[in-house]
Amino acid sequence: MAKPRIKVPKMAKVGEIVEIKSMISHKMESGRRKDKKTGKVIPRKIINALKVTFNGKLVFSASLHPSVSANPYFAFDFKVPGSGDMVFEWTEDGGKVITAKKSLKAA
Amino acid sequence: MKLSGIATVFCSFVGLAGLMIQPALAGDKDKMMMLVKYEISDGPAIKAINKSLTGKPGDPKKGEDLMANRKKGNCFACHMISSLAAKAKDNPKKYADMGEIGPPLDGVAGRYTEGELRMMLVDSHKVFPDTIMPSFYRNTGFTRIKGKFKGKTVLKAQEVEDILSLLKTFK
Amino acid sequence: MTPISGIKMMKKMIKLTVGVLLLAGFSTSAVLAADGKSEAVKPAAEFGLDEIWSGYHFAKKETQALQDDDFDNPGNLWLEEGAALWSKVDGDAKKSCQSCHNDASKSMKGVATRYPVYYAPRKKLINIEQRINLCRTEQMKAKPWKWKSKQLLAMAVYVNNQSKGMPVNIRITAENKPFWEKGKAFYYKRRGQLDMSCAHCHEKYYGKHIRSNVLSQGHINGFPTYRLKWQKPGSVHRRFKGCNKQVRAKPYGLGSDEYNNLELYVKWRGNGLPVETPAVRN
Repeated sequence: MAKPRIKVPKMAKVGEIVEIKSMISHKMESGRRKDKKTGKVIPRKIINALKVTFNGKLVFSASLHPSVSANPYFAFDFKVPGSGDMVFEWTEDGGKVITAKKSLKAA
Repeated sequence: MKLSGIATVFCSFVGLAGLMIQPALAGDKDKMMMLVKYEISDGPAIKAINKSLTGKPGDPKKGEDLMANRKKGNCFACHMISSLAAKAKDNPKKYADMGEIGPPLDGVAGRYTEGELRMMLVDSHKVFPDTIMPSFYRNTGFTRIKGKFKGKTVLKAQEVEDILSLLKTFK
Repeated sequence: MTPISGIKMMKKMIKLTVGVLLLAGFSTSAVLAADGKSEAVKPAAEFGLDEIWSGYHFAKKETQALQDDDFDNPGNLWLEEGAALWSKVDGDAKKSCQSCHNDASKSMKGVATRYPVYYAPRKKLINIEQRINLCRTEQMKAKPWKWKSKQLLAMAVYVNNQSKGMPVNIRITAENKPFWEKGKAFYYKRRGQLDMSCAHCHEKYYGKHIRSNVLSQGHINGFPTYRLKWQKPGSVHRRFKGCNKQVRAKPYGLGSDEYNNLELYVKWRGNGLPVETPAVRN
């Protein structure tokens, strides 16, 4: 289960600074916990990277490590260059990529 | 209920009776711990246990660790001690954020005698029936105690003396 | 300024505000309705508290902010999941919640203010989680969800959330009174090796620091609550278990009658507090 949520304003002025928010529901299994019944280590499974692009251009990126809590949340300020699509890509251990997209109209 | 005089003696007989009621327990390690006998007398303010539980002097250094230890005395959870709180900047995990549930222990040895302090550590409920403070050296009379704590006390007799040896210095 | 004196000062300020507003001709209830969760409610019945405060009041500012922002509140991930499950057909009867209850914002409104309730077929109390599973097994002919499952938590968050802002209003009747009495007895009973009752922490010493934590009054108007410690929402029963374990007592099971009785009693103690689900706490 990894459901993304992003908040990008639908409309903004060119040059305006807006706040972008993102959250993805994810357990962020650290790889350090043990199964209480079997005593075996539960394999690590975390979101290890977030990449955000606007019209294909990288605007934000982060590497995540096992100490990041469940449901990682990122917010950043963004100076609107014009209209376009903002695409979020979260990469999970194992290589699975989860994406979310929102369009922004600039006036 | 009059509690002065000789306190309840917890002997293996009690343990056996418990085992007979709950045969499931027979195999595990949760036997009733044998407690040291102690005598309760009247102190100046409250009841007191004047004689050391072990006859061996306490170690105040160990006492300090036990007071901080969250699985042992955990005294700092509720009590503030200014002289020890001052160490928080070097060791916050051990000394920071002392609680405010019980009275500060600064000067506690001036307010109570050693015997009274021992009484409070051993079984505070005998002197303050409504208190939130646990009885650190009692192993009967509990409701739904969790298996691994059955028949055991929070602190061992010598641990009580260790903490007491430090409390005595808070004048 | 220590946090504790901050709380006291806030209490004073709020009292002052209420007083001033009263003088200005407002009624207390109007004042409370504005933002009930950060203000004290006067208990309707006599018990150990003079004023009732939501756990929100004792939470850190940052935690409060997390709860207040619909996007930032991580409990809302479960809320969205619950909304999606509401209309999802499941089970042999080929029904969803929606098939019987239509629009949850209407049909589930107020439910959280009165649960747990007496359930005649079982002659005992059931809480919202159990009501959801009864619907699943009896109406939908579907498997019940497990207590700690994502689905049951999501649905419980969703159902409770339909009453957000409404005051908790548990009424004691001839039917639920015996269970309320049992819950009350549980509340005041010392238990575990540390030999403490619920009342010791949450009635006698609320607002005070126990090491770095501030004790709340233990109200449950925000459940299922997203606990930062759990990193997900959890049920009232899970929280009760945690409290019991902390005093070194043997906990009861999730969904047990004992915890349902306690849930009724504790919820009643918070009568008048607004439902906050999903609340955020540490």
